[in-house]
Amino acid sequence: MRWTLTEDQELFRDSFRGWLERFAPVEKVRSWLDSGDPGEFEQRFAEEGWFGIGTAEELGGQGGGLVELALAAEQLGRSAAPSSVWLASVLAAPLLSRSPEIAAKSLAEGEFAVLALDASRPLDVEPGAGETTRYVLGGDRARRFVVPDGDGVRVAEASDVDITPRKLLDRSRSVADVSLVARSTVDLSPVASRAAVLVAADSLGAAERMLELAVEYSKQRHQFGVPIGSFQAVKHAAAQILVDVEAARSLVYYAAASVEQGHEECALHAAAAKAQVCAAAERAADAALTLHGAIGYTWEHDLQLFYKRAKLNNRLFGSPAVWNERLAAALPLVPAA
Amino acid sequence: MDFELTEDQATIRKAVAELAGKFSDEYWLEKDEAHEFPAEFYDAFAQGGWLGITTPEEYGGHGFGITEASILLEEVSAAGGGMNAASSMHLSIFGMHPVIVHGSEELKRRTLPRIVSGDLHVCFGVTEPGAGLDTTKITTFARRDGDHYVVNGRKVWISKAKESEKVLLLTRTTKFEDAKKKTDGLTLFLTDLDRDHVDIRPIRKMGRNAVTSNELFIDNLRVPVEDRVGEEGQGFKYILDGLNPERMLVAAEALGLGRAALKKAVRYGNEREVFGRPIGMNQGLQFPLADSLARLDAAELALRKATWLYDNGKPCGREANTAKYLCADAGFQAADRALQTHGGMGYSEEYHVARYFREARLLRIAPLSQEMVLNYLGSHVLGLPRSY
Repeated sequence: MRWTLTEDQELFRDSFRGWLERFAPVEKVRSWLDSGDPGEFEQRFAEEGWFGIGTAEELGGQGGGLVELALAAEQLGRSAAPSSVWLASVLAAPLLSRSPEIAAKSLAEGEFAVLALDASRPLDVEPGAGETTRYVLGGDRARRFVVPDGDGVRVAEASDVDITPRKLLDRSRSVADVSLVARSTVDLSPVASRAAVLVAADSLGAAERMLELAVEYSKQRHQFGVPIGSFQAVKHAAAQILVDVEAARSLVYYAAASVEQGHEECALHAAAAKAQVCAAAERAADAALTLHGAIGYTWEHDLQLFYKRAKLNNRLFGSPAVWNERLAAALPLVPAA
Repeated sequence: MDFELTEDQATIRKAVAELAGKFSDEYWLEKDEAHEFPAEFYDAFAQGGWLGITTPEEYGGHGFGITEASILLEEVSAAGGGMNAASSMHLSIFGMHPVIVHGSEELKRRTLPRIVSGDLHVCFGVTEPGAGLDTTKITTFARRDGDHYVVNGRKVWISKAKESEKVLLLTRTTKFEDAKKKTDGLTLFLTDLDRDHVDIRPIRKMGRNAVTSNELFIDNLRVPVEDRVGEEGQGFKYILDGLNPERMLVAAEALGLGRAALKKAVRYGNEREVFGRPIGMNQGLQFPLADSLARLDAAELALRKATWLYDNGKPCGREANTAKYLCADAGFQAADRALQTHGGMGYSEEYHVARYFREARLLRIAPLSQEMVLNYLGSHVLGLPRSY
């Protein structure tokens, strides 16, 4: 088997990365995070056409699929860009086949339509009792909510809904509680899998960036007259992150292609990616912090942006334990008593 | 709080280390390879009076506590003999505890002095293929027949049975299904392993090969009533008394083994040069060894506390289990790292760490698995629902 990105995919990845480096350098990201208003970034992100890549043309997108979305998520993760509303919108778009004009407005015009689902759990978990959905990703940034309802979806205007934003430790993402509940017979497992893959891709990007920061710092920082990167304990810790990053990359791209193609085990591939990659990125965050020493613990150092990103990703759309349970359930094990 | 060993304990430690030190690494290598009981070693310890360290003085022993016994076994193991050395005498050191506490005067007079002198080898016959650690499910049955019992059944993982004259044998005298409580109806004997009625087959295994581990097929073994320990039906309770000390002694053996492995690793790390300097200069090798030292030291403290509690008549289930858990893990990890430090040479028998590695692995399984320790701590100490 030989599996590589196509030329178009590579081109997309590189040009999107270049765009992020120009328009979302870390100083800008910090200013959006400090002000709590990422609107400038979001509007530009949508207006310049990046939002549509990875979504079918009939839904107002520009074609491509989950692999393209994963490439984008990876780059957003490595920039710590405020990407909640992008992720929420591209996850909602495939459910809008009966209202493509709403999808198009969301992806092309910045009238974001996001899923009214609890992002602290896999998206196919049934909502509990009550009339509010907690932790709606991008809920504070949405123009409309896409609510799975009956055997389809309904669309609610944000102006008709009570929205209570919540603050997250990771300021590069946002959630809100909204007065909507999705009660439907729609099979949301494909959405759950897509979300799992994309958050894993985000973690991959954050881990890559933390590795770069740690290696760079270990060459710069001297102790006992030598760069700390000359110590084996430091080198080996960095090498371990690299191993995790490379394993994560293989897992994320494979899971993205599998889910996109509807492989019969795609839900398991997505679960493996979510559980493994998000956990690995969290380990990478802890190791990178150790390699930086106290400077990594400061506000002025950028490591904190990615550290918190990786920590939130671990929980977003369900913890590794929850996804490991799904994998365990698919194995021929003795059922729990 | 006082962390000093008593004068006696310090003397014991020094004397045991000296005596055990007379048996070279090669001695243990040869015994292990030949699957041969270390008789010379055992005899030396018997002659020195060490086998009676915990046996009451009236039966020829010294009447010391578990702390002293644990120091003895730790040093025996640490001197390089590892589990081969410890297992050769382990049962003589404390295995007869149920007999000492519950046995008849006649039985004690008849057996204990011979155990102390080393003349009588004993083994412990509890576990069975169908029961594992679920001890009340054993099925080896002792049927009363006049002034005898007739025993039939199977035992497995009986250490040193091949070399033993007698066995401390747990049986059922009431079948599980007929017993009022599942812990009722078990009866303990200290009796002869009559080869005409007990077929003893050593199990081929990964390590600790100088002392056998056996399967026993018991076929109409006639046991005189005088060989019964205490009362009929109370055997489970008698065995239970010995479990915590057993865990502590095994912990001590694991700890000693870890120390032995670490010592070898440090020596090799200092001696072996690659890229023009001792390999111990590499943080990738030095840190794991330093980490193992810290873990062994911490495990030792847990063990000392456990034996102190026991010797002072205080409850020690939590500490005994914790000590076994920590010592077994720290000991195995040290052995694993010692092997890694030796690189390819670690995989050869010549450097002894491969033997330690195989033996240390055993202690994460025996006398009970690490997972069963967690079961105990989870349910009995933390108060979580029983998970098994």
